[in-house]
Amino acid sequence: MNTNSKETSVLAKQHRAGWFFLLPATILIFVLNFYPMFQAFIISLKKGSPAALQWTTPIFNNYTRMLQDKLFIRSVGNTFLYLLIQVPIMLVLAILLAQLLNNKDLKFRGLFRTMVFLPCATSLVSYALIFKSLFATQGLINSVLVNLGIFKENFNFLGTPWSAKMVIIIALIWRWTGYNMVFYLAGLQNIEYSVYEAAKIDGANGWETFWGITVPLLRPVIVMTFIMSINGTLQLFDESMNLTGGGPANSTITMSHYIYNNSFGQGVGNFGYSSALSFIVFIMVAVLAFINLKVGDKRD
Amino acid sequence: MKKRIVSAIMAGTMVASLVACSPSPEAPATSAETKAAGETKAAAETQAAAETQAPAAASEDANTLTVYAWDKNFNIPALQAAEADYQKNVNPDFKLNIVEQSQSSDVENAVTLAGSAGDYSTLPDIVLFQDHYFKKYVTDFPDAWASFEGADVNWDDFGAEKLSYSTIDGVHYGMPVDNGTVIFAYRTDLLEQAGYTIDDMKGISWDEWIEIGKKVYDTTGKYLLSMDGDGNDLPYMMLQAEGVSQFKDGDINLSENETFKKIIDVIVRGAKENVIYLANDWSDYTDQTIVGDMVAGVMNGNWIIPTIQQVADNSGKWEITSMPTLEGNGKEGFASNGGSSLYITSNCQNLELAQDFLAKTFGAGSTETYDAALKNGGVITCSAKAGESAVYNEGVPYFNNTPIYAEIVKMGANVPVVEQSDYHYPTRTQVAAAIQNIINGADADASIKDAEDQVRFAMQG
Amino acid sequence: MTDTKLIKANSSAIQKRLIPTYIFLVFWCLFSVFPLYWMITAATNASIEVARGKIVFGTYAATNFKNLLAAEPLFKSLANSFKYSIVQTVLCLFICSLAGYGFELYHDKAKDKLFGILLLAMMVPQVATMIPLFRMVSDAHLLNTVWAFILPSISTPFMIMMFRQNSRNFPVDIMEAARLDGLSEFAIFFRMYLPVMKSTYAAAAVISFMNAWNSYMWPKVVMNTDTSAMNMPMLIANLAAGYTVDYGTLMMGVLFCSVPTMIIFFILQKQFAEGITGSVK
Repeated sequence: MNTNSKETSVLAKQHRAGWFFLLPATILIFVLNFYPMFQAFIISLKKGSPAALQWTTPIFNNYTRMLQDKLFIRSVGNTFLYLLIQVPIMLVLAILLAQLLNNKDLKFRGLFRTMVFLPCATSLVSYALIFKSLFATQGLINSVLVNLGIFKENFNFLGTPWSAKMVIIIALIWRWTGYNMVFYLAGLQNIEYSVYEAAKIDGANGWETFWGITVPLLRPVIVMTFIMSINGTLQLFDESMNLTGGGPANSTITMSHYIYNNSFGQGVGNFGYSSALSFIVFIMVAVLAFINLKVGDKRD
Repeated sequence: MKKRIVSAIMAGTMVASLVACSPSPEAPATSAETKAAGETKAAAETQAAAETQAPAAASEDANTLTVYAWDKNFNIPALQAAEADYQKNVNPDFKLNIVEQSQSSDVENAVTLAGSAGDYSTLPDIVLFQDHYFKKYVTDFPDAWASFEGADVNWDDFGAEKLSYSTIDGVHYGMPVDNGTVIFAYRTDLLEQAGYTIDDMKGISWDEWIEIGKKVYDTTGKYLLSMDGDGNDLPYMMLQAEGVSQFKDGDINLSENETFKKIIDVIVRGAKENVIYLANDWSDYTDQTIVGDMVAGVMNGNWIIPTIQQVADNSGKWEITSMPTLEGNGKEGFASNGGSSLYITSNCQNLELAQDFLAKTFGAGSTETYDAALKNGGVITCSAKAGESAVYNEGVPYFNNTPIYAEIVKMGANVPVVEQSDYHYPTRTQVAAAIQNIINGADADASIKDAEDQVRFAMQG
Repeated sequence: MTDTKLIKANSSAIQKRLIPTYIFLVFWCLFSVFPLYWMITAATNASIEVARGKIVFGTYAATNFKNLLAAEPLFKSLANSFKYSIVQTVLCLFICSLAGYGFELYHDKAKDKLFGILLLAMMVPQVATMIPLFRMVSDAHLLNTVWAFILPSISTPFMIMMFRQNSRNFPVDIMEAARLDGLSEFAIFFRMYLPVMKSTYAAAAVISFMNAWNSYMWPKVVMNTDTSAMNMPMLIANLAAGYTVDYGTLMMGVLFCSVPTMIIFFILQKQFAEGITGSVK
């Protein structure tokens, strides 16, 4: 009895200490993420000059009027196009690269791994500038393609809607595949080699091993990278802003870029409306992440 | 052992971070003089903050003013010229603290953010501000500005069009700096190859201009005009030259605006016939089409001149003239695009000094200020008086020894005043998108209506 | 046949089978590295050559560097960037590892729920909270300070998650033993956890440092009133704006902005891989 209560008090002490560890991070997130988000929600019900915001009538006017906003709808379309094309390509490539680099017989593994990851070290501002110069009408890609005789004349990559989207997708794949690869590679290294040995003895070929062993065991990592990518893509901003400027004729503009334009671009300063738009983006991300978690595996 | 090393490293980095947080010894000398208003009070409350708080905002020192500007090769030299002028002729202790911003929108955002926080004490004494935006910012942030009331400025010296941006209910808020008067510059050597002279380009109609453009393209392979296709300024400039606005009584006016439709038609035809080249973005426009030598003509606000002059090989081959018009038959077009002015903020603690500084330099048509601004930054004055100086009337070798600067100042006086709107830039974006869609085969009327709806949508927000 | 010969034959057969792998990897690495190679060559070329897509080294490196120094306070901005990134990384690592440790090793239902709530913060678009956050920073008179720069990024759900995942590898038995020795809970964290988890710290440091180093939007909002507070991405943006851009100088700036993060990655590479491995277990 006595020892029991003593034990509980020790446990209680540990318990309290546990909360102490969480405290700074939790407070910071509440103050610096949730509180501003709550404020943004209040702002999303208002309109007018940022210095003197007034309630809208009806109260959800900013939310209802977005349905008539063709440009916003277009930005949603663009963003989802990036999501549906770029994310699967990137993740498949990342798994493939990880699988190849996980081979113990491979020489220069460290070197390959470093080079694959290197693009992540460049800043967003820099890489947008690099890709913009590479794909310029007079730029390098064009001169190579023309010299090889593939193109007859210089092609305006960033000035044509479909190719401008393609350049953004290529740039995203360049920047982020290595990053995701690192997570997969780490996941693969956690899989015991004996599992593969056993599969080999059972006569499974590479393809079967990949789908039968690698993918299921990597599932938690895949779910995690998927959520990160969805999150990153739906909040995509720098590429649209710095690489294409959203053009031509708004054909590459993303949701976050459009929101930015509504609050800081073009001198409009429509904080109410842009806050409402941000909330919709937040809901989209949350819903997609939730679906992902349900479909994928959950720990415990 | 290993454990100890790691904890030592951790401890080391923490110490390093503390060092990094403490005030840096090489903090600029001006920090003491230019502390933000009200910051001293705040400093007592938040010691840590005050330690790292660098000089921001307006100056407290009696002889110092802080100003935001954004182009090291353009308007910053103009401000430096005015500073030197004022130091030499009025107050030797005067100091102008110029804070460089990366682009004009940084200044707008600073005002927007300060306004939304309800605290203008983060603003400097003076900001350089784009003329098109100013009215919107007075409407939205009425408390952010101080006027020129009581200052001794001969406003008649400036063109009426320029002042129309910065004058609200008869009160002057802005001191004009650069002149946005549109020039049409042509490569005379290329025109000659196609059988034309610079005089043939004066007072013609846009239809005649397109015909000339086709010949120029066929003989030389160069476009007669280029423009940033995403931030397309052509419709605005061409419309202003007709004395027409995209706005009517505060509302957008495109789909019922016959002049506007004709202008759009000219641009679309020009683009389809290889007369006008629409670039992807601003840098594509300047660096590829102009510096990259793709064009035989450039039409824009005269601040584009330094860009043209970057190609040293083409010196002496350029000349300038006025714009064509829809009507032609000797009628010349005059317009203005993208100038900026200096505005005093309500946070200025030394209003008299700020007014006096601006009034005696930019406001008095001071030759010393404007001549140096022209020489060092290529900034062309809006002041008729300054335009009479010897420097302004010198021939410019790059432009075949014609005195283009005096000519531009004269052209500036002819620019018609048209209705302006807070939604100038959103309209520009929408109209640019409409033009690109029409070129790609969309129906013109529908695209224009679409653009109009989008702008109206934004206006209702 | 001797054993060594067998192994040799075997390994050469394996290498032969790996040829497609090598080819693919080499192509991918070319794709990966080429833009970076181009960035370096561009920094040595004149503006007009860069715009024309020249891909070999030129002779303008010194000129570009001189122009860069004349145009922008390069060393001041580099120092600023290091200062902000180091402060942010150290604080972020400390706060988030504390939380990750707490969430995993003291976990119960309530804490797991709280963690789920904190994860939501990851999904808030930056543009949404920027305006309210600016007001808070402005009210606290922290504009243009290092605090304004780091505040939104020192406690992030991602980092907490990373430490939480990695903490699973931390042997609980050690904790029990330490408790019997009379160590307090905090002493266990500092004396046991910190040293054992060093590869996780290294991985987190790389990510946090890169994020801080590359941060652009937020600093532009809270630090644009003071040129001497500028960081490297802001410096690049200054170079890229204006009526005329000198591309050679710009690329020299880009180079200076990219090299530090690459060096950090090179140094911490091994630990980085180990740390990430722990986080996906």
